[in-house]
Amino acid sequence: MSGNENIKLIVDGKRLDGRELDEMRPLKITAGLLNKADGSALVEWGGNKILAAVYGPVECFPRHESNPYKAKLSCRYLMSPFASKDEHGRAGPNRRSIELSMVLGKALENVVMLEKYPRAMIEVFIEVLQASGGTRCASLVAASVALANAGIPMKDLPVAVAAGKIDGKVCLDCSKDEDNFGQADVPIALAPRNNDILLLQMDGLMTKDEFFKALDYIEKSAPEIHRLEVEALRKAYEETDAQ
Amino acid sequence: MRRIVFPGELLSDKRITSRGIYVENGKSYAALIGFYDDEKEVFIPLEGAYEPNVGDLLIGIVSDVKPNGYVIEVGLPSDTFMSARDFREPLGMGEIIVAKVKSVSETRSISLADPAVLKGGNIIKISSVKIPRVIGKKGSMLSQIKDATKSKIIVGKNGWIWIKGGNEYLATKAILKIEKEAHTSGLTDKIGEFLKNNENGDEHVGQ
Repeated sequence: MSGNENIKLIVDGKRLDGRELDEMRPLKITAGLLNKADGSALVEWGGNKILAAVYGPVECFPRHESNPYKAKLSCRYLMSPFASKDEHGRAGPNRRSIELSMVLGKALENVVMLEKYPRAMIEVFIEVLQASGGTRCASLVAASVALANAGIPMKDLPVAVAAGKIDGKVCLDCSKDEDNFGQADVPIALAPRNNDILLLQMDGLMTKDEFFKALDYIEKSAPEIHRLEVEALRKAYEETDAQ
Repeated sequence: MRRIVFPGELLSDKRITSRGIYVENGKSYAALIGFYDDEKEVFIPLEGAYEPNVGDLLIGIVSDVKPNGYVIEVGLPSDTFMSARDFREPLGMGEIIVAKVKSVSETRSISLADPAVLKGGNIIKISSVKIPRVIGKKGSMLSQIKDATKSKIIVGKNGWIWIKGGNEYLATKAILKIEKEAHTSGLTDKIGEFLKNNENGDEHVGQ
């Protein structure tokens, strides 16, 4: 986020990959592709490829973390060592992925009706196979589709997308280069039913006006992401119709 | 008209109490993927874990033997315990039983009663929300499978189905086909045709 002044991220009003400022990268969602998981989803968003699997409700582990009032939502985000050009070191959780697991878990807890399964645990596994900026938002989209596919009761199907600031301008859905060389990155997750904010982080600096512009971009793109999520879930059933 | 709905979708401006529906500010929203009928105000979930109710018939497996009874696995997050006094003879691990849900506690742990031991046979596990389709209207689907395969079949509400004897392979195939196509209409006819076409083949497998 240091903001290298030598790199121009906006040329002739277009971004490096030819997008407008308020344009998302192409998003493709597939639901229910893992047979052994209760629910699963694959999200291909620009250069990101993220697989989410949901198991549950299962017996709570570790036992002492079980709650007689509600289920525990355990979320694990992992980035594979071959996920991107950068060195990711060896496989397994690291400082960054442990934080992201916590952040995504807390965001999902707002919509998942955990009180339906006291003393149980719902497991969400998110595997980043290929990373290209904005993986936490893509992971949240994958996790929400996988949860719905697993039949876990939810109040809403959350959507998430990041906004950022590149060359002093607010833009939607930062790619990896824009993320690394831009001035700010704001991932936001929304519940599209009432536009409740489930997740909000900010890396870098933005003025108040810029932030509200970013939020506006995100709120405008939320219905489109929600539509793609619903289409993916619907398709999981239509495919069996055709056979 | 029946339509497919997704979590968070507005179903009605009235309060509806049903599985898979939640009410907020007097309006009803879907919490699960399922079919909703606007006229009849009926919601049928397409996915979801088993939710125990008193009186449900369940298939279970003995997962542990304790000095005074058995731990029974029924596919719920918590296992249930049955006293050895409920059985005439001692059981071993892995034995299959069928029993009724006697009570469901506040934390959704259950106790079982009226057990019977099922000797031999196999269990197949399917999603519990698809069990009504396996049974069919007044048991039509199930009796159709039983007639075609000559198998003994007991369907547990927890989505576990015990099959013994006859053409086990065909019965399993048919039930897995029902699970996969549970949301389509005209399923009884489709399965009838499937059973007829495969009646004579594949008997060597699964015996």
